[in-house]
Amino acid sequence: MQEYKITAITRDEIVPLAERMHKAGIFLVMIHGYRDKEGQLVVSYDYAVDPAIEAYQITGEENLPSIGEIYDTSATWAERELNELYGVTFEGLDLSQRLFLPEDMLETEGKGQIMVTPLSELVKNMEAKEVGKV
Amino acid sequence: MSYVLPIGPYHPSLEEPIHAKLYTEGEMIKDAEVFVGYNHRGIEKLCTERNAIQTLVLVERVCGICSHSHALTYAMCVEDINKIEVPKRGDYIRVITAELERLHSHLLWMGIACHIIGHDSMFMHIWDERELVMDLLERLSGNRVNYAMVTIGGSRRDIDDQLRRDMLSDLVKLKTMLDRDVDIVLTDKTIALRTKNVGVMKTADAVRMGAVGPHARASGVDVDVRRDSPYSAYGDFKFKVPVTPNGDVFDRVVVRALECYESVSIIMQALDNLPEGPINLGNKLPRIKEGVSVKRHEAPRGALSYMVIGKNALENARVSIHVPSFKNTPTVPFMLRNNTVADAGLIIASIDPCFSCLDR
Repeated sequence: MQEYKITAITRDEIVPLAERMHKAGIFLVMIHGYRDKEGQLVVSYDYAVDPAIEAYQITGEENLPSIGEIYDTSATWAERELNELYGVTFEGLDLSQRLFLPEDMLETEGKGQIMVTPLSELVKNMEAKEVGKV
Repeated sequence: MSYVLPIGPYHPSLEEPIHAKLYTEGEMIKDAEVFVGYNHRGIEKLCTERNAIQTLVLVERVCGICSHSHALTYAMCVEDINKIEVPKRGDYIRVITAELERLHSHLLWMGIACHIIGHDSMFMHIWDERELVMDLLERLSGNRVNYAMVTIGGSRRDIDDQLRRDMLSDLVKLKTMLDRDVDIVLTDKTIALRTKNVGVMKTADAVRMGAVGPHARASGVDVDVRRDSPYSAYGDFKFKVPVTPNGDVFDRVVVRALECYESVSIIMQALDNLPEGPINLGNKLPRIKEGVSVKRHEAPRGALSYMVIGKNALENARVSIHVPSFKNTPTVPFMLRNNTVADAGLIIASIDPCFSCLDR
């Protein structure tokens, strides 16, 4: 059975933890992000410590160190995605290019807001923009 | 002479949209970049406004090839949050569908790889075999793309005795056909010349970049979620995990070819030992309890992971989908370096990319 173990960590522990995991040959499954009930951002570093997944979570931090130096693209793509979806910034991460969201969304209401804005509002904004164009 | 050569996002040698920028010196690729996001549909966002059954339908549309993998992994998360135990027979049917999906995905890729290198007769032979698998999937599920076999708490359709016998006899036929084609693919000079020492990724690089699935196994990384972190009914079956050391396109063919045999073996074991009993707990619409779950499944292209967060409501609070192509696509620029422009299409295709999955 795939167990999921959550441990809370601080911002300063992210890099040493990644180094330790990488040295032990453990895969970074993913860096997930979500907003909790209080609206605080939770970033979860999930490592495959088979057969379990160990999740190390940081709550309430919007600026984090990048672990791209350690886990290469396995981390940087996930960090770029979190930047687009939640607006998290990662120190040392190249954010000069978009990953998923269209460029016009990144310039306006999309970046960092897409997961918290209700779908109906996003549709309304898009329709208003279309009308403006006409 | 140096020049920058763009491939895609829409290009005849690409099955799906990706933009690769090749920085070349004459015929040689010196560096490369890839750009994705041409197929982004905001599925994770849509999930937050749907209930569990609607989400199952939606996540099956993430990908047209591994649709069952998405539904299965999402269902495992919801079942974990709600502490639902799937009946054994339901789990076996999930595994049978997952392995049929792997077979058709690997055969599809092997056929396309042959087509890209110009070996169209092999492409036709392999796709002919894939039809046998597609027919089985159609008989099992009633569908050929989105199988809709998964429900929260089990499988949606049962396997009767007639279908079980027919599947077993078709799998024996498939094995014979695989023997012939795998022998050709692994011994043909044209295929060897176009694929050996092309797009090489060594073990250390595969580990560093977090490659997954057959792509990683072809580079000597011995990982497979089905064995390392068993889920569903996978713990009940014996199978090997093929791993090869060279990390070139040829090894990626070998790994996928050998995996086809293992999938046939798993399906046969499951059909031979199909437990009696119900296949699900009734198609009820569950309220997703408050909690978080992360589950992984070895999809045809590698480890697929889902994070589902429930808020004690019908809708999901968050669904985060991370697909194998998310890990494998960033390795493409690395593999393209010091190869010829003529091999670029084949190298991109060699990871069996799914940009539909990647972009979500």
